[in-house]
Amino acid sequence: MVVMVLFAISAGPTGSSDLIFLLRTAPALPPRLLIRRPVSRRSSADRPRPASHRSSSAGSARSSGSCCSSSSAPPPPRRRRFLAGGSDAGRAVATRRVLDMGAGENNPLGAQNAWDMLSEEQSQKHITTGSGDLNGILGGGIHCKEVTEIGGVPGVGKTQLGIQLAINVQIPVEYGGLGGKAVYIDTEGSFMVERVYQIAEGCISDILEHFPHSHEKSSSGNKQLQPEHFLADIYYFRICSYAEQIAAINYLEKFLGEHKDVRIVIIDSVTFHFRQDFDDLALRTRVLSELSLKLMKIAKAYNLAVVLLNQVTTKFTEGSFQLTLALGDSWSHSCTNRVILYWNGTERYAYLDKSPSLPVASAPYAVTGKGVRDVSSNHKRVRVT
Amino acid sequence: MRPPAPKPPPPPASSSSSYSRREPRPENPLLLLPSCRAAKLSLGCPLLDRLLSGGLPAASVTEIAGESATGKTQLCLQLALLAPQSPLSASSLFLHSDLPFPLHRLRRLAPKSCPNILDHVLVAAAHSPAELLSLLARAQRLLSDPGRSPHRLPIRLILLDSIASLFRADFDASPADLRRRSALFFKISAKLKELAYRHQCVVVVTNQVVDVVERDAGNTVAWSSGRRVSPALGIAWANCVNTRLFLTRELDGDGAGGSARRRMRVAFAPHLPEQSCEFVIRRDGVFGIEPPQR
Repeated sequence: MVVMVLFAISAGPTGSSDLIFLLRTAPALPPRLLIRRPVSRRSSADRPRPASHRSSSAGSARSSGSCCSSSSAPPPPRRRRFLAGGSDAGRAVATRRVLDMGAGENNPLGAQNAWDMLSEEQSQKHITTGSGDLNGILGGGIHCKEVTEIGGVPGVGKTQLGIQLAINVQIPVEYGGLGGKAVYIDTEGSFMVERVYQIAEGCISDILEHFPHSHEKSSSGNKQLQPEHFLADIYYFRICSYAEQIAAINYLEKFLGEHKDVRIVIIDSVTFHFRQDFDDLALRTRVLSELSLKLMKIAKAYNLAVVLLNQVTTKFTEGSFQLTLALGDSWSHSCTNRVILYWNGTERYAYLDKSPSLPVASAPYAVTGKGVRDVSSNHKRVRVT
Repeated sequence: MRPPAPKPPPPPASSSSSYSRREPRPENPLLLLPSCRAAKLSLGCPLLDRLLSGGLPAASVTEIAGESATGKTQLCLQLALLAPQSPLSASSLFLHSDLPFPLHRLRRLAPKSCPNILDHVLVAAAHSPAELLSLLARAQRLLSDPGRSPHRLPIRLILLDSIASLFRADFDASPADLRRRSALFFKISAKLKELAYRHQCVVVVTNQVVDVVERDAGNTVAWSSGRRVSPALGIAWANCVNTRLFLTRELDGDGAGGSARRRMRVAFAPHLPEQSCEFVIRRDGVFGIEPPQR
């Protein structure tokens, strides 16, 4: 039984990677039936040698341009990690290893199988938004490893929701939260610290209401439930131009590598500095798509939630003005989930516009003195000042 | 002797306009808390201060929108005169686009006890968005290099009287012009916010209103003088301000020379609930009043 795993990866300066993957368990076929890549200019020494080539016929497939080169030449040392099965680890082992798609030496793709992904997803915690109805339409809250965009007209509560999430992510694990820290990137100056303090107090009072015996437990290393601690665990960046915004997001990767306990990154609002006059709109699109790619990468790599707050603008389509989210259609592909906040009369509603797994739905919510909460039964908005 | 004014917190990044090549540094909101509470410009009336939870916040752009003769300019003049004697202890920069500058009203409002108070009000005129941007650039140089005029207090209050009148001319209603206008809003607002943040200034911008015909929902529409109005310059400008205060006027009875009840409403603010307060305009300024007991 021959298992032939052939792949040639050419990661050139252009960043393209052609990958051909052939997995066969069959008697060796004559070489001409093997897949050949077009000849590239690179020397065969640069190209990684393919993996275990058991068949002797592989030796005859020695052609300078073919991807299945002979087994005679030892692989260059730096490519060793691309080899599956090593030298003579046994064909059966090679088969098993290739089918078992764990990441590692055997699996340079780092691919996960769907079963692992499902179990991981189910154990993933969500960040509660403070309002039960809103959590309901979001499937439990804001998901980690995903980019969520929240947009709405001014005054509907985007910043309030952002601040609420920055506080709620810090709810300790024993009370059902994530116990993580937050990064808040503020481009507009709406982050009022006294409001954050108020929301932190509201969150703590709700926790103590739900878990009335908690303060009797001796806090052995638990975080003390003080608003000051909640404030101190937010990393706040204030940026004043689009260049600073790009620099902050570039710096974020390094920052997150040092601070592993950050579980949410909130950018309020991601569009403010990009709505000025850009002489070159293509540049703006390029910069924005690079930004969104970086954010998606950060979300996945560090297992945190990225929340982008967006503004609305009026778009002139079909002879009338309509409200849409800012930055255009190309930006709308950059997020995994999208929530739109709007007014319905005097009530605030949230509408889940885009989600990979949940149906579109809308739910009411309210902004009270304690933060974002469910709409109470009495409609008179009594605010605690 | 006045107690020494609390020092403004040092600007976290470099105060020059060009972005420094250092890495961005995160701030700790806990450390910002005391300065955030202290740096508020009181309006001079305890009722209005209670509405605003202490006064106008620093490092933030507040918009005061209202019909004509609802007290916007009066409020701005009052703030300019209060600033040197408040805990903020600051001069003010008054940029006006409505001609002429109300000098007589300012003189009348100035307290007799302090004759030199007008030294602390700097006035400049801007007639178009481009002029305003160049004025702001000059203001930035002035703010970052205050050593030029040692007898004057540092500028920590910027007032812009009527952003709407800057955009009245030169812009049609075509989509291209509207886009150009929106881009200018964001440019101006970004500049104002940068000044506000780097030098911990209070920025106040006044705005006019337009009539609203269609059924608009939410907090942008109010009734004033018997008509539905909404702040001018649309949703694009609404995205550019942090706090919006709406001044409305309700005509009592027949309204002809009768008392007009004036109301200051918080349309939206990151740190304030939506509430309102009645006020009156008197010779010596704008003051809140308790609602009459029915």
